[in-house]
Amino acid sequence: MRSNSDPLWVRLLLTSVALVFFGLFLLLPLVAVFTEALRKGLGTYFAALAEPEALSAVWLTLLAAGIAVPLNLVFGVAAAWAIAKFDFPGKQVLITLIDLPFSVSPVVSGLIYVLIFGLQGWFGPWLAEHNLKVIFAVPGIVLATIFVTFPFVARELIPLMQAQGTEEEQAARVLGARGWQIFSRVTLPNIKWGLLYGVILCNARAMGEFGAVSVVSGHIRGRTNTIPLHVEILYNEYHAAAAFAVASLLAILALVTLAAKMAVEWKARQSGQELAHEH
Amino acid sequence: MSIEVQKITKTFGDFTALKDVTIKVPSGQLVALLGPSGSGKTTLLRIIAGLEVPDSGTVLFDGADATSRSARERQVGFVFQHYALFRNMSVFENVAFGMRVKPKSERPTKQAINDRVHELLRLVQLERLGDRQPAQLSGGQRQRVALARALAVQPKVLLLDEPFGALDAKVRQELRRWLRRLHDEIGITSVFVTHDQDEALEVADRVVILHDGRVEQEGTPEEVYEHPASPFVYNFLGNVNLFHGRVEGSKVHLGDFSMDAPPDMENGQTDPGAVVYARPHLLDLDHEPPKNRPHFKAKIVHIHPAGAVVKVELTTDAGNPINAELPHERYRGLGLQKGMTVFVSVRDMKVFSKAQSMLGGGI
Amino acid sequence: MKPKKLRKSSVLPGFGLTLGFTLAYLSLIVLIPLSATFAKAASGGWAHFWNTVTDPRVVASYRLTFGASLAAAAFNVVMGLLIAWVLVRYPFPGKRIVDALIDLPFALPTAVAGITLTTLLNAHGWVGRYLEPLGIKAAFTPLGIVIALIFIGLPFVVRTVEPVLQNVDAEVEQAAASLGAGRFQTFVRVIFPELAPALLTGFTLAFARAIGEYGSVVFISGNMPMRTEITPLLIITKLEQYDYAGATAIGVVMLLISFALLLVINFLQRRAEL
Repeated sequence: MRSNSDPLWVRLLLTSVALVFFGLFLLLPLVAVFTEALRKGLGTYFAALAEPEALSAVWLTLLAAGIAVPLNLVFGVAAAWAIAKFDFPGKQVLITLIDLPFSVSPVVSGLIYVLIFGLQGWFGPWLAEHNLKVIFAVPGIVLATIFVTFPFVARELIPLMQAQGTEEEQAARVLGARGWQIFSRVTLPNIKWGLLYGVILCNARAMGEFGAVSVVSGHIRGRTNTIPLHVEILYNEYHAAAAFAVASLLAILALVTLAAKMAVEWKARQSGQELAHEH
Repeated sequence: MSIEVQKITKTFGDFTALKDVTIKVPSGQLVALLGPSGSGKTTLLRIIAGLEVPDSGTVLFDGADATSRSARERQVGFVFQHYALFRNMSVFENVAFGMRVKPKSERPTKQAINDRVHELLRLVQLERLGDRQPAQLSGGQRQRVALARALAVQPKVLLLDEPFGALDAKVRQELRRWLRRLHDEIGITSVFVTHDQDEALEVADRVVILHDGRVEQEGTPEEVYEHPASPFVYNFLGNVNLFHGRVEGSKVHLGDFSMDAPPDMENGQTDPGAVVYARPHLLDLDHEPPKNRPHFKAKIVHIHPAGAVVKVELTTDAGNPINAELPHERYRGLGLQKGMTVFVSVRDMKVFSKAQSMLGGGI
Repeated sequence: MKPKKLRKSSVLPGFGLTLGFTLAYLSLIVLIPLSATFAKAASGGWAHFWNTVTDPRVVASYRLTFGASLAAAAFNVVMGLLIAWVLVRYPFPGKRIVDALIDLPFALPTAVAGITLTTLLNAHGWVGRYLEPLGIKAAFTPLGIVIALIFIGLPFVVRTVEPVLQNVDAEVEQAAASLGAGRFQTFVRVIFPELAPALLTGFTLAFARAIGEYGSVVFISGNMPMRTEITPLLIITKLEQYDYAGATAIGVVMLLISFALLLVINFLQRRAEL
């Protein structure tokens, strides 16, 4: 906190405006989710969560995140290793391409897979012949989830590992360590908080993704609905309390994510690992 | 183990770091690679370690070609300039690392590792700091951990990149004497890189002087200091005065004085001139022109009497600056004052042809 | 002797493996599907493409999407700067919690944000019921869309400006004050110029996100053709009508806009690092 010479009335005015806006735009919606969820009582709340369709949506969400997050984690580590520890032409282009999925609209992210695997897509006829389904089925949901969470781990690790340089790895090499030993004993402990940070953000987005998954899912109840899609269906069918009950799960996920994020930021600062992106 | 480097060339893009470099490091000796920044000395060290791959040339360990061996197969100990300690490990774990990553069949037992680490920490005088993290150590302590870590794998060769470069002057002095003693104790063939001529001359058995990616001279500290092979070496190894002379036949004329030209300059060349180098402590001042010695008239501009010797700044009639160093007794005996005109004579010097001194560059 | 870049040594293992995997995975997940979209659009023919993307309903959606995104991003520049300023400079109770919750829009799934904002802003909602007597309709109007986009865009500006504001040199400010500059003059002439690049980056990030946004908008917009239909929604509508070529054409337009914005953002961030 720096001392400042702003007059008291300026400070009070600005702080009040900031807090009122914060209250209206961030706090109020958060409170509203839980209030609406409990509007018809705890009984209705838990009934909405215990519905088979809700449970299957939870299961599918966990499955999609359970596949997408580890894959993008492995990718993020591999990409960061290649980019941060070696020099090669086209590196800057590669970094930009890795960030690409962030700038693509979620709806388009779903669309591109429909165009490849959908009935009218490139592989559509072949898939149909072999009785395989990607679009309007679980594989499509997983693919779309991988796409929208693609850059999270990589963009966290690349700047962190670039800043740490290669001297420690070289030292380990001269001391006789093999590739995996260098990575697991020297590199990994140095990047663990950044890695965890990326995984937390990646997971939050994977579980909460709506637009991309919506395009490829087909909204088949009990089969291809994730939690956000289930919320949409309940809401559109005027089951507001049930919709908010299920939505409250996602709100809790968001709060847990924010808390975990703060904890990791704190841990990282303690161990001297500067995190690259603090959001 | 002896090291031989033969005809090594290394370029980075357009920049040639090493050109056809050949050196020999006899077994058990402590050798300094000395040169200004950009001379290629660190690159040469990294090539010996296998951390850099030469464009051409070979590296021999005990006569056997090691060029294609990877860094992890060369069994060298390497101390990085900024230590490169593993920041997530304690001092103890840093030192133990090299033993822990050995394949199961070669790995010492837990107890053996433990004993060896303690022995090494004792050797580098850090016995009680085994549990510390690298961030909690001073620069000198980190340096010694890096050394212990490198020695833990019982390397055949120890390579040190600017081992004292990041330390302050006092710690530097202590550590380099300590390194010399340590080397005498364990007798491992060692090569270190430095840009500090005092450090190289004081610590090393042999000095290799590099300049612009080439070896300028190789020899014992005494040899290179007393008999510099080139103007560059002469200049690099200490303060120097330089005088221009004329060459006629087999004689060099310096002021009113003539002397024999060095053998390589004879043969009646029509050399445009010679450059005479003399160190400040090899100059003498007097009120009368000395006989049998080259001398000039010069005016005293400034006197610095504080220190082990008295430093006197002069200018010649032509306006060239001269630095001389006199013992205190001599200074008092002469009763020198600022503004006096005196005769400067040269007790010993080194003559290079002008062409040669152009090659030296940077003077 | 130590050209740092070149010292990224080749002695470390795993370059071929990791780069190979990176390129293969990137191609499979991102590059090939994206190229397929362009190929698909090209196969439909130029006339059809042009007719689709210039259809009045589609053009109306561009206008809405761009206008609302622009308005929301502009609002966020002002409010984001204000919040960052207060967070960095003024002490107040509960500040850590406020700071942490600024990221809520990043963490809260967009569908949840969408239904919640709709519920709050409709005529019977906690906020909507107070707006209604004033003649302001938020839900199912462009205003509602702007509000949703403000919600999702806010953290971009706050988080881009915050670190820059923290690094504004206190001495420079004091120097300005000692030279007789008033508080306001100091802000306008000394602090603001330092913040401007970060504000521009934050604006562009928020704008880029808003252009493609779907989940938080689709509930509150009401989706009336020509009036409150955003471009991403049109893609879904076309897909539901099995008009793949139409969906692809609009998708390509959106991709081109994304790429252009990505280049702008890259340029801004590269410049900020210099």
